[in-house]
Amino acid sequence: MRGWSTGAMLIVAVLAAVVGAGGAMAVSRRGGTASSTRAARTADGKPDFSGIWQALNEANWDLQAHEARPGSVTQQGVYPYAYTKVPAAAVLALGAAAGVPGSVGVVEGDGEIPYKPETAAMRKENGEHWIDRDPELKCYLPGIPRAMYMPYPFQIVQSTNKVHMAFAFTSTARTINLDEVEPPPDDTYMGHSVGRWEGDTLVVDVTGFNGKNWFDRAGNFHSDSLHLVERFSPITPDVIRYEVTIEDPKTFTRPWRISMPLYRRMEPNAQLLEYRCIEFVEEFLYGNLRKQQLVKRWEGDTIIVDITRKVPPGDQLHDWYRR
Amino acid sequence: MQIKLAMAVAGLVLVGAAGSLSAHHAFAAEFDANKPVKMKGTVTKMEWTNPHVWLHMDVKQPDGTVQNWAFEAGTPNVLFRRGFTKQSLMPGTEVIVDGYQAKDGSRRANGRDLTFPDGRKLFMGSSGTGAPYELTPDGQGQAPKTPPAK
Amino acid sequence: MSRRTFQVISVGAVVLAVVGLLKLAPVAGQAAADKSGTTPSTEGATKAGPAGKTPWGDPDLQGIWTNDFETPLQRPSRYANKEFFTDEERAELDKQRAAIIGGDRRQSRGSEQDVGGAYNAAIFLSHKHLGKRTSLIVDPPDGRIPPVTPEVAKRRQELREFQLALLQASDVCKNQRPGCEGGKYGPVSPRRSETPPSYLATGAAGGGVINRSDNPEDRTLGERCMAAILPDFGGAAGFFPQIIQSPGAVSIFYDTGQGQGWQRIIPITNRPHLPSSVRQWWGDSRGRWEGNTLVVDVTNFTAKTDYQGSRENLHLVERWTRLDSNTLEYAVTMEDSTTWTKPWTIKQEFNRQSDKANRVYKEPRCHEGNYGMPALLAGARAEERAFAQGKGPNPATMCTAGCGGFAGGFADEGEEANPLAR
Repeated sequence: MRGWSTGAMLIVAVLAAVVGAGGAMAVSRRGGTASSTRAARTADGKPDFSGIWQALNEANWDLQAHEARPGSVTQQGVYPYAYTKVPAAAVLALGAAAGVPGSVGVVEGDGEIPYKPETAAMRKENGEHWIDRDPELKCYLPGIPRAMYMPYPFQIVQSTNKVHMAFAFTSTARTINLDEVEPPPDDTYMGHSVGRWEGDTLVVDVTGFNGKNWFDRAGNFHSDSLHLVERFSPITPDVIRYEVTIEDPKTFTRPWRISMPLYRRMEPNAQLLEYRCIEFVEEFLYGNLRKQQLVKRWEGDTIIVDITRKVPPGDQLHDWYRR
Repeated sequence: MQIKLAMAVAGLVLVGAAGSLSAHHAFAAEFDANKPVKMKGTVTKMEWTNPHVWLHMDVKQPDGTVQNWAFEAGTPNVLFRRGFTKQSLMPGTEVIVDGYQAKDGSRRANGRDLTFPDGRKLFMGSSGTGAPYELTPDGQGQAPKTPPAK
Repeated sequence: MSRRTFQVISVGAVVLAVVGLLKLAPVAGQAAADKSGTTPSTEGATKAGPAGKTPWGDPDLQGIWTNDFETPLQRPSRYANKEFFTDEERAELDKQRAAIIGGDRRQSRGSEQDVGGAYNAAIFLSHKHLGKRTSLIVDPPDGRIPPVTPEVAKRRQELREFQLALLQASDVCKNQRPGCEGGKYGPVSPRRSETPPSYLATGAAGGGVINRSDNPEDRTLGERCMAAILPDFGGAAGFFPQIIQSPGAVSIFYDTGQGQGWQRIIPITNRPHLPSSVRQWWGDSRGRWEGNTLVVDVTNFTAKTDYQGSRENLHLVERWTRLDSNTLEYAVTMEDSTTWTKPWTIKQEFNRQSDKANRVYKEPRCHEGNYGMPALLAGARAEERAFAQGKGPNPATMCTAGCGGFAGGFADEGEEANPLAR
């Protein structure tokens, strides 16, 4: 730049600064309009996580890597091997819709969940008694981290002192408090979340769990000593890297981690709809106490469903060929 | 009679002064008016669940055996706002319950009246740090001076 | 220093100054607003923009709110033309109410009313001082809900007749208690096995309930842990909305009832509503800012709700305005020409609660603790079995709902009824 006058250099420098700052100034008001104007940062300079998000993986079926399965609960088929099972009666009517898709898993490291010997036995039992024991089936609050990777969207409303998450599933929510608040008076399903920014990462400490929840449909569970450290980091304006360190000395021999991307729902009309499942599960929970039962046969607390499948005329398999 | 009926119909919809949501459920459906119970026991566990707190108690029977009973007590949210927490009623506390047993005959009852052995009512009053807006018997808006049930 | 160095430094200084100016602009409001409001209730307040605005420039409605005062929905008849109570009237009414609520009233022991009267005990409910207005309804000017249409009147009449049929063989009618108003004592009605004439969409104990427990659906929405409705502006079991905002959305978590709380998102958008085939319990909200007011249009309600008679055609227009650092005004116009002959509007004021105390309880939730539902169903089945074996009374002659007796802390009638209702 020999020969440039001081004035010319000054002008170039100022122009460069303006262009550079211009990127940071693109804080447009989001009105659910075109995504090309979506801000990467909020008005107070933080990564902008506001919007509707959803995990895109199979973690809610089973956190660990697994091959596809015929059903969440299975029974022995004609062969005696573990890999030849068939769906259990309770899920049989759903056919392929009841199967569990395969997954590379979300557990980091060796992919193992480090149960203690006594809790490992409970986990196995949970898996076998999925229908009676999984809180999800009762429409109970799913807890954290499970709510983050259930197959329902959730909405983040990010303010300056709170980051709030609203979940479509059973209309539940969690508030991540960035300001100081008193601890809750009792333990909860969704825990108590306290957050802080470390650079561009939102770090959240979650405690105060009541220990009644599971991590997934496979029976992975925890106690009331559960302590999570979550990290939300932007990968792009529309993808968040979500990492969780899970610690529970009553259940596990050491802390372990899961991680996954969370994807923004990009539809211009994306919206959280209700999933008010309390109503949906009344038959499931109380059907055996009706004066006139709708389900043909109940035995105690375990559903024994009498499946007599009557295929309607015209829908028999051989009828299809004639269409 | 017509007017009265119309009023009654209107009245049905108007229960509760300000608004729409009110109490959870009718105890009369769950508990039996013909099965009054009154017992003294020791708290073994507290469940601060909505819609009603459950007080689990060991109750000594006349023949010396111990039965474990569960009594429905107050509403968690209302109590939390008055400053009660899970620390407020710990196992080992003695409580007297006057209520009605469940219709299905199980060892559950609604806690119609809950008192400590000295006659103080359970869960009345507050820690003073919550619910300053509450209407209290002295009408002054001050929380009564009784300390939280501990 | 050399001339070259001087040039570099001065260029650098200018660049830094320009970048600094540009970066500061969006958050200029922040410094000013930290000084806004020094009252304790704004401790821990959002880092607001200037004078009650968020950093991105929207009016700031954030915080935990509740109504510090109670106001009846409709103007009590004896205050017919008065829009406001006098201070003396408020004090006197508060005194009467406090005495009834705080008193230890028992009905005759062994009566269904005494069992149900547990709600008299102050540990279940929370009552507040009266506010200044004689009614939440500000339009029509008489402070009363406009008349309902003939269709809705007919539906209510049919439900009332069904209710009375299920009560007629019980003590409530035998002893002519208020719950039997409009009916009379009689034998067990054959209507006991009928489906109710319309969906039982009430959450209020004592209102629209039926005296039967054949199914969960026979019980109130409250007993099913589904009582949360829109609009909601308070009740004796608690009401605390928590508002959190971002540029495109307003989140309101309603901590309401006994653990019946729910999550509401109001998108700030000019997108049209959901298709009319999509119906929801809490409708579909669309928000926009008009000056300092958040205006929300709500439609697409399900037929399973019933707000003062209005079901799927309910249309709400809400207006949320922050009046000052401690006060949020909520006005909502209810419109449904298939239910009311004209729209009506209520106005309620919410007061800011301490952020630090954080007394908005999303949990424990009613559903996870709902031992009551299976218990009352099991109890009903036990009574039927006992009766079938000749060991107990006919359940059809007993009362489990609509029995009366100190619902909400006040008696049905007489000296201990709600002074506002007399």
